[in-house]
Amino acid sequence: MTAMLLLPALNGLVLSFDRHGPSLGNYRILFNDPMFWRALANNLLVPVGSVIVEFVLGLALALTLTARRKPSALIETAAILPFAIPEIVILTLARYIFLPRGYLNGALVTAGIHALPWLSPRSSLAMLMVIVVDAWHVTPIVMLMLMAGLQTIPAELYEAARLDGAGTLATFRYVTLPMLRPAIVGALILRGVDALRIFSTVLVLTGPEGVPVLSTYSYSLWDDAQKPHEAMAASMILALLVTIIGSSRLLFAARYSRATGAMA
Amino acid sequence: MNGEARDDTGAGRAARFALEAFVIAGAVLPLYLLAKQSVSPELETFAWPPHWLPHRLTLDHFISVFDVNELRGAILRSLAVAAISAAIATTLGAMLAHAMARSAIAQRVGFSTVSGIRLLPMIAVAIPLGTILATLGVYDSPSGIGLAIVHAAIAIPTAALTIYASFAAIPLEIEEAAWIDGASPLRIFLTIDLPMARAAIATALILCFILSWDEFGFALLVQQTNRTLPPLLYYYTVFGNVGPASALALLMMIPAVIVVVALGPSLRGALTAGSSR
Repeated sequence: MTAMLLLPALNGLVLSFDRHGPSLGNYRILFNDPMFWRALANNLLVPVGSVIVEFVLGLALALTLTARRKPSALIETAAILPFAIPEIVILTLARYIFLPRGYLNGALVTAGIHALPWLSPRSSLAMLMVIVVDAWHVTPIVMLMLMAGLQTIPAELYEAARLDGAGTLATFRYVTLPMLRPAIVGALILRGVDALRIFSTVLVLTGPEGVPVLSTYSYSLWDDAQKPHEAMAASMILALLVTIIGSSRLLFAARYSRATGAMA
Repeated sequence: MNGEARDDTGAGRAARFALEAFVIAGAVLPLYLLAKQSVSPELETFAWPPHWLPHRLTLDHFISVFDVNELRGAILRSLAVAAISAAIATTLGAMLAHAMARSAIAQRVGFSTVSGIRLLPMIAVAIPLGTILATLGVYDSPSGIGLAIVHAAIAIPTAALTIYASFAAIPLEIEEAAWIDGASPLRIFLTIDLPMARAAIATALILCFILSWDEFGFALLVQQTNRTLPPLLYYYTVFGNVGPASALALLMMIPAVIVVVALGPSLRGALTAGSSR
């Protein structure tokens, strides 16, 4: 079964070096295409942006929900719902909200403010909207991971901090953050690796070349331009990128377990 | 409970209230708009500025969803693909989880394969995979069997990780006792391990079903004409009419929302384990 996924990837690797015989031609064509460089740059900017937004929002939500005296099932369900909804449905919704004649512009015009071209191709506003919509769908996952981390912090630590006269900020800085570190690192890496592979958000919101990333660039090479070899070369560069970031996770995990091992 | 320190100041309470209101609005408002669009006559969806309340109600879009052959086919195909892939992934995932729980080597190999699979970008797999499925004669098949196999492969890690902890928690002594009584390894697996892990197995089945039901990228590339629901919704959203697209989107949400609302807390940990794009 694993071979189902690995064999095609290897086959793709071979294809990417094949142009009427083995050659680097496909990659040379990519490197001469300005769209490739745009896709590569976006493929770094969008994931960094969306991981930052998801982390800040996810942490705020996790802290707020755990700080409640009485846990509220309603609010927790509402917070998780955007992740439970299929991604494609979220994207459909986002289109209806952010299109030029969508609900957001409708509300702005009704309020007497100018409408904005939220999803206009090649604009930084569209890139921002890709980040926002991606965050809308996946922030709940970051929140859940951080909540799981928060629940492992012993209550005695908070009590000790209070007895020592630590304020809210000091408690957060010296108790919550350090204790939450493993959960934070886990969430950031999991989301980071996922965010690098962003595909459908871009495709549905702006079309494959609106805010091109490597996946959609590769998709349009394959689907519209009928250039499978170049498409494979582009997706191999994405695979390389993901592998580099993904293996930094293993490095970090090794270092982290050594550090905690030394402490124990 | 932790976090009592930041609870009682007025500003803190206001911020918390604002955030919670934002969360509820973010969950409810979009769903309301989708529902509204699905029962609004097509003409109303072109209104500018857009209506916030439907002026007239209609069930036409839902009727058309079930009437048009393409849509009905997509619903049935999505159900079949999700059910078949969940069954395959859970069966193989349970075996993998059992091996991982009982042998250190299998555990190491299992975890690295599982995280390795997560690293593969969909696009790098899907394009060459199309060629391979075509040689096997299951590319874009009306039954969606090719896609079901792909989804099963993607879902195995989710299934294995969901079931793993339950197998690891079964005391070895129980298996040894059965062994001494002369039970075969297969019989031990079937009559002792599987029943004891049945809650986790049910969770895995549900998660794998949802994973396949929601999956868009492979479905788009592998089922180019015999579409499942997510790619069909994509074409409706980008190129089609608002009403049917909204009705379809609403129908697509049903399984996932039932799962989250009904199973709620018990599923949350598993949800985190199963997140993958």
